[in-house]
Amino acid sequence: MKLNERSVAHYALSDSPADHTGFLRTWGGAGTPPTPSGAGRRCWFVLKGNLLFSFESREGRAPLSLVVLEGCTVELAEAPVPEEFAFAIRFDAPGVRPHLLAADGPAAQEAWVKALSRASFGYMRLVVRELESQLREAHHSLDLHRRSSWKAVSSRCKPQAPDRWSPGLENGHSLSRDCSPIGLVEEGGSRPAGRGLAEWELQGPANLLLGRGQSPVSPETSCFSTLHEWYGREIMELRRAWLQRAQENQPECKDQDRP
Amino acid sequence: MRYNEKELQALSRQPAEMAAELGMRGPKKGSVVKRRLVKLVVNFLFYFRTDEAEPIGALLLEHCRVIHEEPSGFSISFLEDPERKYHFECCSEEQCQEWMAALRRASYEFMRRSLIFYRNEIQKMTGKDPLEQFGISEEARFQLSCLKA
Repeated sequence: MKLNERSVAHYALSDSPADHTGFLRTWGGAGTPPTPSGAGRRCWFVLKGNLLFSFESREGRAPLSLVVLEGCTVELAEAPVPEEFAFAIRFDAPGVRPHLLAADGPAAQEAWVKALSRASFGYMRLVVRELESQLREAHHSLDLHRRSSWKAVSSRCKPQAPDRWSPGLENGHSLSRDCSPIGLVEEGGSRPAGRGLAEWELQGPANLLLGRGQSPVSPETSCFSTLHEWYGREIMELRRAWLQRAQENQPECKDQDRP
Repeated sequence: MRYNEKELQALSRQPAEMAAELGMRGPKKGSVVKRRLVKLVVNFLFYFRTDEAEPIGALLLEHCRVIHEEPSGFSISFLEDPERKYHFECCSEEQCQEWMAALRRASYEFMRRSLIFYRNEIQKMTGKDPLEQFGISEEARFQLSCLKA
């Protein structure tokens, strides 16, 4: 079966975050010749997403092997040689031999088994869906709260959409402060309270998506471009804030270094 | 790079997010369009000859770019060589848009970013880290620092 190997290798070596790395001994996995002592071959393993790569060394520039961690279970195993800290990746599919691996110690063994058990796409999707529904609930209950407190305040308001994010990102207390009617500036010309509130709701693609009953990870979504655009904006804002802080810190350091 | 074909074959038999017969043209110069059964399973795109049970090949969809190609097709290319494109032809613009949307969110990296986004949002709104209940709040893969432009 063909595979876009060059792209796969590029992904393996890219600086996208590795989910777990470390040395492991491996036996009889795809293409690993058994060593004379039966002690297993020691390789550098990198887990990225649902893909487990092995390299000859930490500095290896080409992956030796790839295991796709879908449809498998990871469990502690009896090594061929009385080897401690071994575990196996077992596939449900018939005729597929398990991959036997061994860590250097109990902590590493536990960490690897945990990381590999949670590496599947399905697991990630489960967590994302769970968070989506939690976010939806949080928006819903906030929405109810706002609608009831809104009636007490002036009907004219101006949503401050661009400013909303910086305070939110910096101090972590966003919604309760920014959405309180006190934070709103009055604008000339009348604007119905209901519409003003609706504009406040449209703060990010999550709201857009959740409002339309869609989600970024379910088949009905058609708002990727919105989501993508929003990520870009938030990332640029984050970056700007960090750079600003970095610049503010720098002059102080320079002063300290001067004799 | 060694990989177990049987493992990939087994994966290709798992329930697909999307599956359809499309026209497919490989990235090599002079390649012709062929009818293929194309199947999206997790972050892999498998393609089969229309009358065969085992896939001819698979594309890992990480760090890929999906572009609309006239009239009603799209291409997939990868970060390390954006000019090297796998072309696909759909039967309608609607089908094309559906596939493009599905492929763009098919990567693990996209899921990771979504998760981090939601985690951050929930934390801001409720003051609680939603990943704590899963016991995975400290995992490297879910940190905000993973987001890159």
